[in-house]
Amino acid sequence: MEHAQHIIDATQDIFSSMIMLEVTAGEPFVRNNDKLINSISGIIGLAGPTKGMLAIHMANAAALAVTSAFLGMEVEEIDDDVRDAIGELANMLAGNMKSVLDPGGSDIKLSMPSAVYGEDYSVDCLAGAQSVTVPFTFDGLGFLVELQLRTDG
Amino acid sequence: MGKTVLIVDDSNTMRKIVSRALRQAGIDFSTILEAGDGQEALDVLSANAVDVVLSDINMPNMNGLEFLKAKAEIPAIKDIPVVMISTETGADIINEAKSYGAKGAIKKPFTPELINETLGALL
Repeated sequence: MEHAQHIIDATQDIFSSMIMLEVTAGEPFVRNNDKLINSISGIIGLAGPTKGMLAIHMANAAALAVTSAFLGMEVEEIDDDVRDAIGELANMLAGNMKSVLDPGGSDIKLSMPSAVYGEDYSVDCLAGAQSVTVPFTFDGLGFLVELQLRTDG
Repeated sequence: MGKTVLIVDDSNTMRKIVSRALRQAGIDFSTILEAGDGQEALDVLSANAVDVVLSDINMPNMNGLEFLKAKAEIPAIKDIPVVMISTETGADIINEAKSYGAKGAIKKPFTPELINETLGALL
């Protein structure tokens, strides 16, 4: 469960300062490739001596609420704005985690953000990676932030 | 007279967020221009009088560092100040950006107050 507190600190900072939403962290756990239903995931790949991924998984209702708050306008369907917003959230979270894992900033490379969404899909684990997932709640809705890391050598 | 700012970010959402933060920052911007990558930013700077640029680093096509290097080669726009606004704010990458002419860096997430403080010193 290493890095769980970093995930909590980064997520609460980003949501309070950029989205004006206070989110409450739950107990960290290891996610077992459970299927994601009617959800959207923002994903950033990490490459270098430490590789892995940072993902934020949100049910559609949570993604719509977050994007609406993020943009300051009502968003009613999963569209380009929602995919872009969730990808950008993953990007900010990954950048924050990178500053913890790689303070100099030259060892870990971050990918461009990508978003996956659908009625029924899974985001698989990196082979041999250590994984931690933190659940968060706000206004009766929830989302997950997942970090997978593998250090070679 | 209000200032003109150019926001460079491949994320349409982030351009909207930065634009909103600029309006909340209390600096008198009369015009907010946008570009989706470094090449688009060069095109906008060549066609408009811009007072300051806020640029992401991690972008497709031409990233923020490549944009700084290319801009430094164009006499008509090389002196327009650029502030990097990015999740990538490690010492190495910021020093590299400054070596190419960046005047400062703002880490995402950011607040309007931080934007005011950083840009206020340049305008």
